[in-house]
Amino acid sequence: MNQSEAASREGLQFFGRVSASVSHEIKNVFAVINEAAGLIGDLTTMAERGMPIKPERLKRASDAIQGQIRRGDAIVKNMNAFAHSTDEDVREVNLGEILQLTLALTTRLADMKQIRLIAGHCEPVSLKANPFDLMRLLHSSIAAALDSLSAGDSLVVGVEPAGHGASFSLSAPGKDAPLANDEAFSALARSMGAAVSVDEASGTSLLRLRAAGTR
Amino acid sequence: MKILLVDDEVELVSAMAERLGYRGLDADWAENGEDALKMAGETDYAVAVLDMKMPRMGGLELQEKLVARHPGMRFIFLSGHGSEADFKAGRAAGCNYLIKPIQLEDLVDMIREVAGEDAQ
Repeated sequence: MNQSEAASREGLQFFGRVSASVSHEIKNVFAVINEAAGLIGDLTTMAERGMPIKPERLKRASDAIQGQIRRGDAIVKNMNAFAHSTDEDVREVNLGEILQLTLALTTRLADMKQIRLIAGHCEPVSLKANPFDLMRLLHSSIAAALDSLSAGDSLVVGVEPAGHGASFSLSAPGKDAPLANDEAFSALARSMGAAVSVDEASGTSLLRLRAAGTR
Repeated sequence: MKILLVDDEVELVSAMAERLGYRGLDADWAENGEDALKMAGETDYAVAVLDMKMPRMGGLELQEKLVARHPGMRFIFLSGHGSEADFKAGRAAGCNYLIKPIQLEDLVDMIREVAGEDAQ
């Protein structure tokens, strides 16, 4: 497998990981709706047999269904935006939007580790980039940072302009910089034209990007 | 017979417990493994129904801890993953699991089956 095939394969694997996580979330949405609808059915059957139904019990089940439909709609919107990130090779990308979308698609991973994922300081910034590759890099940085943290921790991710490009910041309050000494992630970042640096004093890792076509 | 349901989707697990109650099965619920272990220390549950994927402690890890402390307890797993073929293969291999979203009557039958009761 040559370098181009390997990069393509890794991109496909990333798409697969996100799709699997999203499909699992959607299954959970269906499962909750299924139980709430089943409960309404049970209560109706009991009412037909002459047992009184408490209106607040019906309302709670109906609210659960509506809440899950809102949850499912948000999940599908995010998945749709993610799928469209492959539409163009390079375009002007709003990095704040890409960060929000990546955080939304990574929340389940953080939840499984009981780590709170927080959007930190986000300055308006956009640059020419491949949005899919950018999300893959950002997702990988968050996943690597989560691996270095423990249950109960928080991970704060922000973005700001830096020179001709931009810089994503990752920090965990009360902890060392999350990507410090992570050679595997640093190598991935280099291979995608980005660079990782660590500010030990503030416990912040910085992921610096250049606009596509610049040096 | 007491049943313990464990799933981090609170709206799902609470509704499931209520619905099992309407079918004559006395079910408590917990939203994580730690709470489930505490509850199992205080109540004698015949069957535990565990979600496979939960934060920190998944269903398989929880089962190991529960079975070490309560060797007589029986288990059913709930999973959001898997195809019908996976389900059949798992059942053939002796695993008791259901794929979400489930039909409650299937869970009722399986609970009675693993507890050694007549499914009817």
